[in-house]
Amino acid sequence: MSGFYTGLKYTLARRFNYEARSAGLFLFPVMSVLAVVAVFPILYSLYTSFFNLKLTRPHRVPFVWFDNYVKVLSDELFWESVMRTVSFTVMSVVAILILALFIALLLNESFHGRRFISAMILIPWAIPTVANGLLWKWIYDSGYGALNGLLLQLGLIDKYVVWLGDPDKTIPLIANAFVWKEVPLAAILILVTMKSIPVDLYQAARVDGANLLQRFVHITLPSLKPGFMLVMIYETMMAIRHFDLFFLLTEGGPADASHVLSWQIYVETFRNLSFGTGSAMSYILALVTFALAYAIIKMLGRRI
Amino acid sequence: MARILFDNVTKYYASVKAVDNLNLEIKDKEFLVLLGPSGCGKTTTLNMIAGLEELSKGDIYFDQQIVNFMPPHIRDVAMVFQSYALYPHKNVFENIGFGLKMRKYDTAEIDRRVRDAAERLHIEHLLDRLPSQLSGGQRQRVALGRAMVRQPSVFLMDEPLSNLDAALRISMRAEIKQLHHSMQTTFVYVTHDQAEALTLADRIVVMKDGVVQQIGSPDEIYERPENLFVGSFLGNPPINLLVGELVSDNAGVIFQKGRFKMEFQEEISTKLQPHIGKSVTLGIRPEDVNEQGAAVPGLSVSGTVNTVLPMGSEQYVSMTIEGTEAFFRLGKEHKHKGGDNISLDINRNRLHVFDQETERSLLWG
Amino acid sequence: MTLQSTKFSVPSEKWKYKSKRSERTRSAVIFIASIFLLIYVLAPVGWLLSSSFQSEAEIVSVPPHWLPHEPTMENFNAIFFQEFEEVTYETRRKVDPAAGGYIPSTAKDLLPSMWNSFIISVAVVILNLVVGVPAAYAMAKIRFWGRQASVYTILTTRVIPDIALVVPFFLVIKNLGLLDHVMSLIITYLAITVPFTVFILVSYFESLPDELDKAARVDGCSRLQTLIQVFLPLARPSLVAVMLFAFLTSWNEFLLALMFTQTIASQTLPIIVASFTSDFTISFSFINAAGVVAIIPPVILALFFERYIVSGLTAGAVKG
Ligand SMILES: Nc1ncnc2c1ncn2[C@@H]1O[C@H](COP(=O)(O)OP(=O)(O)O)[C@@H](O)[C@H]1O
Ligand SMILES: [Mg+2]
Repeated sequence: MSGFYTGLKYTLARRFNYEARSAGLFLFPVMSVLAVVAVFPILYSLYTSFFNLKLTRPHRVPFVWFDNYVKVLSDELFWESVMRTVSFTVMSVVAILILALFIALLLNESFHGRRFISAMILIPWAIPTVANGLLWKWIYDSGYGALNGLLLQLGLIDKYVVWLGDPDKTIPLIANAFVWKEVPLAAILILVTMKSIPVDLYQAARVDGANLLQRFVHITLPSLKPGFMLVMIYETMMAIRHFDLFFLLTEGGPADASHVLSWQIYVETFRNLSFGTGSAMSYILALVTFALAYAIIKMLGRRI
Repeated sequence: MARILFDNVTKYYASVKAVDNLNLEIKDKEFLVLLGPSGCGKTTTLNMIAGLEELSKGDIYFDQQIVNFMPPHIRDVAMVFQSYALYPHKNVFENIGFGLKMRKYDTAEIDRRVRDAAERLHIEHLLDRLPSQLSGGQRQRVALGRAMVRQPSVFLMDEPLSNLDAALRISMRAEIKQLHHSMQTTFVYVTHDQAEALTLADRIVVMKDGVVQQIGSPDEIYERPENLFVGSFLGNPPINLLVGELVSDNAGVIFQKGRFKMEFQEEISTKLQPHIGKSVTLGIRPEDVNEQGAAVPGLSVSGTVNTVLPMGSEQYVSMTIEGTEAFFRLGKEHKHKGGDNISLDINRNRLHVFDQETERSLLWG
Repeated sequence: MTLQSTKFSVPSEKWKYKSKRSERTRSAVIFIASIFLLIYVLAPVGWLLSSSFQSEAEIVSVPPHWLPHEPTMENFNAIFFQEFEEVTYETRRKVDPAAGGYIPSTAKDLLPSMWNSFIISVAVVILNLVVGVPAAYAMAKIRFWGRQASVYTILTTRVIPDIALVVPFFLVIKNLGLLDHVMSLIITYLAITVPFTVFILVSYFESLPDELDKAARVDGCSRLQTLIQVFLPLARPSLVAVMLFAFLTSWNEFLLALMFTQTIASQTLPIIVASFTSDFTISFSFINAAGVVAIIPPVILALFFERYIVSGLTAGAVKG
């Protein structure tokens, strides 16, 4: 007896069997949505990055090869903004990792009120960035803000200080607001990894006589590596692309003290209406993020 | 109600060949057992019958119909899974009745059948419980019930007893046999436990690395293994294997390993005639010996007892034959102890001889 | 090995004593750390809340009043009841900064914008489920050609910075004729929520045994029925988490809303609130009240569904 189906018919029956048809049907909605709202925009902005597209003269759109990229990469302002993004990112991510580790260590202990605290730390995570922005803008306010009031009452300053308006302080202060909102998620992610460390590992170490610090260094830290990596990459992605707080707190100012890359893209695209160079910058940002994200997807995708 | 035919079926997982060119006819109303070590492709075979795995090559027929691309919910099969796979959010009643509900039976009929099955499985009192509130044995019964109520044309079971404790396993064997009898439908049962296979099967299919080794009734498989693998996979304690040579002697063809010699019966001797000079493996099942007084070279084994394992109704003794440790099963008439010298008469019409090179039996197959 | 024997040589009395003392130290450390953490997390919000109940006169005191001395509801009244107020000399005064009024006329937009935010968020949640659940199930349990590739595609789309998407989004929206329409945000928010939804649900469905899927299909379920009858009821915790994430993301989103909305027909709450912050004539106490209004719904949701957030992330991001 040879096969009932032969050749093409068999191949088709196999390719479009019930499983494949179901999968196709189930994936169709998501794929069509993402095609419109993600894949197309991504490709389109790649496309515009090769044109000298300016909304100020919409009828002449010459194809300029890599000119936009060359222009962007040779622009000093661009590199300055890159450096600001880098310092904002490094500051934020380091602070987030350290704070999140301490919070996770705390919440990994069992004590009265632990549930309450783990609920409360969700508040910064849950609030809109706009609220986060105005919250810190008000705290940093040089005339009536809480920071000045508090420091004055504690006797740490003798008169009110200009905070956001001081170019040296702008980036760290914005980073502080960013960290405050990002820390809870990072802490939860690290806590979840911490909880997945098998208890008998600790018991074995205890039997071997390891003290608290040794247990932390030899068991906790190595086991946390995946969680740490995930948080680091994720938060780096978030910090690099962060826009909202720069818009809400300083609008890139004072002068260009908080003129970071995402702000630069915004200005170039929506104030100068120069879509070509804006897209080129976006793409450079995207490529950098991509390189970082490659790592995250390797890590997460592996498990799927 | 259903005959199942595998026609040159091969299944790959990526580059792993899980089932290799399977040709098998499962007869209507038969109790067929797929037996083999873990990873030999039993579950894959079962899944292909259910339609849960696609074939890479070949065809599967239900009766005269090719079902290669028929999805499982349209095939009339029921299956009991190794992990039971009960629906955690449904109670026992809903678990058992789910297959009927999906097939749009009316509520009264579902109720009748579920209660009927529950009664037969002695789980009537558990119908309102969730699976998490049941013991292993109870879950196993629910899984059986879920398949039973459907009265499918094929009943598939994937190691249904392997997660139970020993005592329960034995009693469930009898119940499954009973179930087959009353359901009058085709059963395909997967196990790696030879005892289960031997007690339950009408026919056994022995598999290894995705390849069928032998198909036959339990007696055939046990008494006439066609190759060394089948011979050594069945039997407890396992068959004793001695590697030696077939030589010609005035008594005909004999097996020789060092100073140990074994003569064959006339009929067997003739069969082995063409193989003189070959390197072979001689198989002696532990139970195929009788105790007797005198040692007769060529007809018996004799030596010093190494250890004795009392087994209650019988005893196992071990001795060394030309450097190979061998176990034999003896009655309790004589109490043996280590260091005793004994002679055992070999039941020579039950010997097995395998070609050392091809591992195929020289006697049958 | 040597360490082990040392342990046994320690007299048990000493152990008891030592562990009791270290137990006390531990409690103290935990207590202090908890207090610091609570202050860090809650103080900024508390300050926002406190100043939203202060009058314009009180809010500019130096040093600040940590708690309002004369709590007033005037800011909240302006947000919730302004529409019903008659235009009198008093209320007119409020819209005129020169006359000392600090409450903007756009205060009346807060409630409609909140409604927009709500509509958008609910729609995004529903569409996330409609689109994400079947896809996640297919990716987790159906072996089909291109499965791995589709998982990667979906994750990859989330990698591109939002700001890079704004221009092309704008063109899509414009071509669909949806500028200044809530639909524009609903559609674009799908891009930023669906990948995460799919990811979390795929992880969850993957963690359910394959045999459960097989059992359902042998029991007579089609793929769709298997999903609805077996997997959906079991996925409830993850579904809640996913819905919550999608809701909060939509409720809180700022950049895209800033770009695609122009009037109160589609402006969301964050946009209206942000519009206050850039206007120097508006009282900070009023802005803070607006901030409080924006904060309350997401915070209530997050606290209410707290355990689902953690379990959702457990199933997803850091699955063992
Ligand atoms: N889903 C799968 N993906 C890849 N390989 C598999 C899969 N299922 C089974 N295999 C492989 O196929 C072979 C046969 O497996 P299986 O049929 O489950 O064996 P058995 O049930 O006899 O233990 C094994 O080598 C196993 O590793
Ligand atoms: Mg198996």
